Order: sequence, then structure tokens, then C-alpha cells
Amino acid sequence: MTSRMSLIALAALLCAPPSFAQGFKPARTVDLVVHTGPGGGSDVLARAIAVMVEKEKLLPVRLQVINKPGGNAAVAAAHLAEKKGDPNTLGLFTGVWLQTPLVSAEAKVTLRDLTPIARLVLEPAVIAVKADAPYRTLAEFIEAAKKNPGQLKQSGGSNTSRDNVVRQLLQKSTGARWAFISFPGGGERIAALLGGHVNIMVIEPEEAGEHIRAGNLRVLAQVSEKRLAKFPEVPTLKEAGFDVPVVPQVRGVVAPPGIPKENVEFWQDFFRRLTRTPSWQKYIEDNQFEDGYQNAAELAKFYDEFTDRMREILKDAGVKTVR
Amino acid sequence: MEILTGLLNGFAVALEPANLLWCFVGVLLGTVVGILPGLGPPATIAMLLPLTFNMNPAGAIIMLAGIYYGAKYGGSTTSILMNVPGESASVVTCLDGYQMAKKGRAGAALGIAAIASFVAGTVGVLGLMLVAPPIAKFALSFSSPEYFALMSLGLALVVLLAGRSIVKALLAALVGLWIASVGTDLFSGTSRFAFGQMELLSGIDFVVVAIGVFALAEVLANMEAREETQLLPVPKGLKNLLPTMQDLKDCRFAFVNGSVIGFLVGALPGGGSTIASFLSYGLEKAVSPRREQFGTGVIEGVAAPEGANNSETGGALVPLLTLGIPGSGTTAILLAALVLWGFKPGPLFIPEHPALFWGLVASMYIGNVMLLILNLPLVPLFAQVLRMPVYVLYPLILGVSMVGVYSVSGSMFDLLLLMVFGMLGYLMRKLDYPAAPLILGLALGAGMERALRQSLMMSEGKLSILVSRPISAVMLSLAVLVLLVPMFGKFNAWRLRALEQG
Repeated sequence: MTSRMSLIALAALLCAPPSFAQGFKPARTVDLVVHTGPGGGSDVLARAIAVMVEKEKLLPVRLQVINKPGGNAAVAAAHLAEKKGDPNTLGLFTGVWLQTPLVSAEAKVTLRDLTPIARLVLEPAVIAVKADAPYRTLAEFIEAAKKNPGQLKQSGGSNTSRDNVVRQLLQKSTGARWAFISFPGGGERIAALLGGHVNIMVIEPEEAGEHIRAGNLRVLAQVSEKRLAKFPEVPTLKEAGFDVPVVPQVRGVVAPPGIPKENVEFWQDFFRRLTRTPSWQKYIEDNQFEDGYQNAAELAKFYDEFTDRMREILKDAGVKTVR
Repeated sequence: MEILTGLLNGFAVALEPANLLWCFVGVLLGTVVGILPGLGPPATIAMLLPLTFNMNPAGAIIMLAGIYYGAKYGGSTTSILMNVPGESASVVTCLDGYQMAKKGRAGAALGIAAIASFVAGTVGVLGLMLVAPPIAKFALSFSSPEYFALMSLGLALVVLLAGRSIVKALLAALVGLWIASVGTDLFSGTSRFAFGQMELLSGIDFVVVAIGVFALAEVLANMEAREETQLLPVPKGLKNLLPTMQDLKDCRFAFVNGSVIGFLVGALPGGGSTIASFLSYGLEKAVSPRREQFGTGVIEGVAAPEGANNSETGGALVPLLTLGIPGSGTTAILLAALVLWGFKPGPLFIPEHPALFWGLVASMYIGNVMLLILNLPLVPLFAQVLRMPVYVLYPLILGVSMVGVYSVSGSMFDLLLLMVFGMLGYLMRKLDYPAAPLILGLALGAGMERALRQSLMMSEGKLSILVSRPISAVMLSLAVLVLLVPMFGKFNAWRLRALEQG
């Protein structure tokens, strides 16, 4: 059904005179593809965007979220690649879309194979321990890790995730060593920390926020270039004395391959307008994201740099890269 | 006293006409979604999320939670009538539920599923209301070694699900474990048994395998018969369609068992309703005086897992509301909903928003009553489905199976897989391999592997971590016991025979 509709859309696009294409407007419901199931980070952001689009009346048509979970984003990326030339399908990517093709031979679709549209947000992180932990600063934790190599533990996502990359960078720069335990769900990660089964966690500030307020967690440092508004007392990694590159979680939008330039311009402009709306400003403030808007050309450049940097980091982490 | 005033205030919120209406809308939608295989509560809640932004948060959470626990009621319908498990938690219900339908007791099975759901669902809410904070603390004491032990205990139940041959059951369980290992390795991100197929990177969906080896295999096996197959018997008269007093009496223990196991396993962030339903079925069978009849249509074999499945909802809301930790897909989207409405779920959520919490609790009592009233009259209606001639019923089962699988992922590849697993189920049936252990292995495989590897990461590779922690040690001992006891029974029988002969 959808593929037939996209064919019709494609046919309409090919027949249309150039002047018509210049004033491109989506003619039917726009699909925003995410790589997580309902409730995952990207899914929540996508649904928030769908609500803002309705509220701020940014599109003449509805925007609906399509979940294509699995394969660490490979399934969603491949779905977009199949929609070649479809102007009504977009994908919400994260760092996982960049990293998976680096380590998995089956994940054939890289972001380079898709059409970059815009980068939207950068998500900072904080490094948290349980409130009754003996470490007051990150340096104290690193010292403890040095004294007991491999004994302290960090909970996080897969080993290509940002959590582990931060750990690898810190280990490399200090010579300390601690274990990394992967949990697929964010809930299990924080449960492991609260239950005292692990010692430290790289966590999204909003996720940690309530546990800090309730006195369950303490923040040692923040993984960002400058201090977050809600954590004015907590030093950044650099201020805490650890000069390692800051790895943000990145989220942005891509389109299927082979769509006309006019459509790219329409969508990049659409997302620029979205990020200027009060709804969006409030959303990223509530979630303590950084506004990371970049247009299509800047995103393409960012992608290449990020991929090169990630390849180096993964190699250092002992992860086999295939691309 | 504090609880009483809280609850009274809660009822004041839940009984507001608008909220009552939202509660009804939620449980009605939930029932429909539950009956349709495939499309589950997370997807439904996600679709409805944008509509809730203009709603009062209390009404919205009441409605979304209604979908969540309402879906658990309907889940058993296709399991009992068609051997099509609509979601992972109703797989166990197929074992005895479908057999009951074959014996003309579909109405009793559907009825007891609704009653068990009501009893255990209500107990689950009671638990959420009375013991949430201590249970949440208990749940935090579980980590990877404990989960590994819990799942080992679940897998040990294979011996209880075995038919005549324990060896065949173990083989089937191993195949299940193997299927669970297909996909992307969580720790290294590399692919396993994907054979270069992009679609296999996300692993093989549990529902695809379950519907294949249960429903498709059933249809295939029944098509073999050359003579016009007997229609499934459906007794006439409403009275004969509902469970009898004797049935309720037989299920006394199943109600308690399902309620307690469902709630406790649900409260664990790594638990889930699948393992809860399997565990309570296993426990029910282990203590039952008519153990050997399980799998042939025993009513408590439906009541226990259906109860556990519903009580799990109350349990799963414990870590969500007391700690802001979601344990499953559905609670994750409920968490997302709370965040989108401007709340901050976490340890301070209940003290700071008592009206919302108590309103939800009160609405769940009301919703469960609504569901019972809604579902019992549906029982005779659904039982009529079986009156259809086989040349209508079997294509219908095939259709329902395919739509169910397609609606999970929207992928044609999964339909091909469904055919493959239908053939596998048919072959297993021909060769007398039980299907349930395969499903159990698949259900537990991924979690078990993950828990074991996480445990070994924690201990730097020392297996002793599994027995040096008390909770995990106790559960592993239980698992060993479950595995060994039948052997002693056999040994004893053999010894007695030898004595007689000697």
C-alpha cells in the first residue's frame, strides 16, 4: 500500500514541471521513521515533534511516527534506503545510525547513502554515582579504579554507545580501568546503579534529575562543553581535569536517497522553522538538550568528521570495524 | 489510615464522570487490542498519545493504563479458540486452553480466563497500593545474577512441560535457545546467525515463532485427515458455556499463585509477563494433584498464567511510579507519556502528585470490574466462533495468524518466517517433539544469555558470582531441585521394579 503510494508520489514528482517542484509541499501524511520501539528515546522525540507540528501548524498534512526497530538502527536505515525518491518519508537518526554500519557488515546503509536534511539536538550527559558512594569527585573515582583495576563497574548501553565511548576516552587518558556492563533498557541501567550492583553511570541529565532531587544519586561531572543550566555546581570533564573530547548524543533528520534538491531545501527549512518555535525551545529546555541545528550541507560535513572520529575511538576500544 | 484517605481521594478523582468515561474507553480499546493478535498495547498507546495532550493528565493516564491492563484480558481469546497466541504472555494459555476448546469447554476456558484476570488484576492493584515502596526496594536487589537464576528456574520447568520424553523436550528447548541467539549481539554489536540477511539483524520475533509452531502447525496437522473433520463441540445454553462451581474450586490455588507470582515478577525491571505466566503455570503443575493431566485441558492451567499475566500489570507499575524505571515496552511508553505531559516520574512522583497516583489506583479497581462485566458476556459470543465449519475456520485461523504477524513488524520477511516455523511445528508434531519447551527456550534465551554475560562482566569472569549471592543461590538450588526430582521419581520406580523382579 505504502510502496504503491510512494510510487504514485514518485510518478507525480517526475511528471511535474520544475516550477511546481520548487514549491514542493508534502501532499500526503509524512512518515517519520525511528529505529526504536514505542517509548524509546527517538520515538519520544519523534512523537513530540509530531505534536509540535500540529500545534504550531507547520505542515499542511499530518506527520506520523513509524517504528522500524531492530538491528541497532540497521532496519530503519534500510527502510529509508528502500524508499528511494520518496519525498514524504523522513528518518530521525541518532549516533547509533552512524556507529552500527561501522561494526556490522550486514548494516549496509550508512548515513552517506541517505540524504542529509538537518541536525537537531545534541544531548549532553552527566556522570553519576549513588549518593552514598565514597567518591566526591571524578578524580576520586578514577583513583579508586586505579587501586582496584577492573573491580569498579559502569552500567550502560551497547559497547558502541556513547556511555562506553566516554569510558574508553577516560580510561585512555588516565590509565585507570573499570568494567562496563551493557543493559539494553535504560531502566535496567539505572536500576543496577540504584541497587548498588554497579558504581557509576553516564546518564542523561533529565533521567538523573529526579533521582538527584530525591537524594539517591550524586553527579560528579558533566559530559558537555559548558556547564548545563540545571547543574551550575558540577564541573565539566575539562574543568574536572580530564581533557578528553566531549562526545554528544546527536539527533537529526535524514531523507531517502535520490530526492530532488527542492525537497531537501523544503525539509531543511521546515526543521529550521521547527527549532525556532516556542514549543521546541521549551521541549529542549525541559529535556536539557543543546540546540544543535545544522543544515543539510553542515550535517554532511559533521557526519564525515564524526564517523572518522568514532572509527578511531572504536578501534581503541578493541571493537572490530568493518568500514 | 494514610492509604485509606489516599484511596478515598483517588476514588473521588476516578469517579468523576469524565474520568469514568476515559477509564471505559481505555479498557474497551484494551480488550479489542488484546483480542487482535499482533498489535499490542505499546503500539496502541503510542498511536493515541498525541490525542492525550489536550486531556486532563488524570483522565489520560487512566485511559492509557486501561488499554494496558485491558489488553491482558483479551489476550487469551485467540489462544483458547484458535491456538493463536496473540502475544508472548498468552503462549502458555494455549497449552490447556486450546485443549479445553477441543473438548467443548471453550466457554469455560474463556470464562475462567476473565475471572482469573479479574481476581489477579485486582490483587495486583492491591499490591501496588499497599506494598509498592518495599517491593521496589526488593526489586532493586535483583541484578544480572539474580535474573539469570530466575530464568534458569523458568527453563528448568521444561521438564514439567515435557511429554513422554524428557530428552525430546530438552532438545526442543535447546533449539528455542538457539533461535533466541539469532540477531545482533548486544555487547559487541556483531551479527549472529544472520546469514547476511538484514531482516535477521533484529532477531526473530517471539510471536512469529509461537504462532507458527502453535497455530499453523495445528491447521496443517488437521488438514491431513481425509474424512470431514469433526467440528469442535460447542454445548448449547449459557449455563454450559461458563465455568462451573467445581471449576472455580479447582482454580482456588491458581488464583493465589497467579496473583503473587505475576505481581512479584512484574515488579522486577527485567521480569515481564512472559516469564511470569510460565512460572505460575509451572508452579501450578508442580503442586497439582492431577499433574499428569496438564496439557490435556485442565482449567487451572488457564487460570494460573492468565492471572499472572494480569497481576503483572500492577507489579510493573511499581518501579515505574515509585522510581521512574520502566520494565517493559508498555511501561516505557507510559513513562514517555508522563514526561510529555510535563511530569517528572521518579522517586518523588507519588508524594508530589498524590491525586494522580491514587486516581490511577482507584480507576484500576473500577476498570477491572468493567472488564469483567465487559468480557463475561463476550464468552458465549466468542465460543460460537467454533461452530463454524472447518473450511471456514481454518482459513480464518491462517488469516488471523498472518495479519497478527504482519501487524507486529509490517514485514513480509516475517510472514516467510511464519511459514518456516509452521512447517517446523508440523514436523515436530509428526516426530512427537513438544512445542512448548521450544517456545520457553526462545522466550528466556536472550534474557538468560544477557544476564549470564552481564554477571560474568561484573565478576571478571568468575562463575562463583552466581552462587555467592543469596537470592540467586536459592533460585538456582530450586532450579536444580526441579530438574532432579523427576529423575529420583524415575529412579525410585526403576528400583521398585527391580525389587519386585529380584
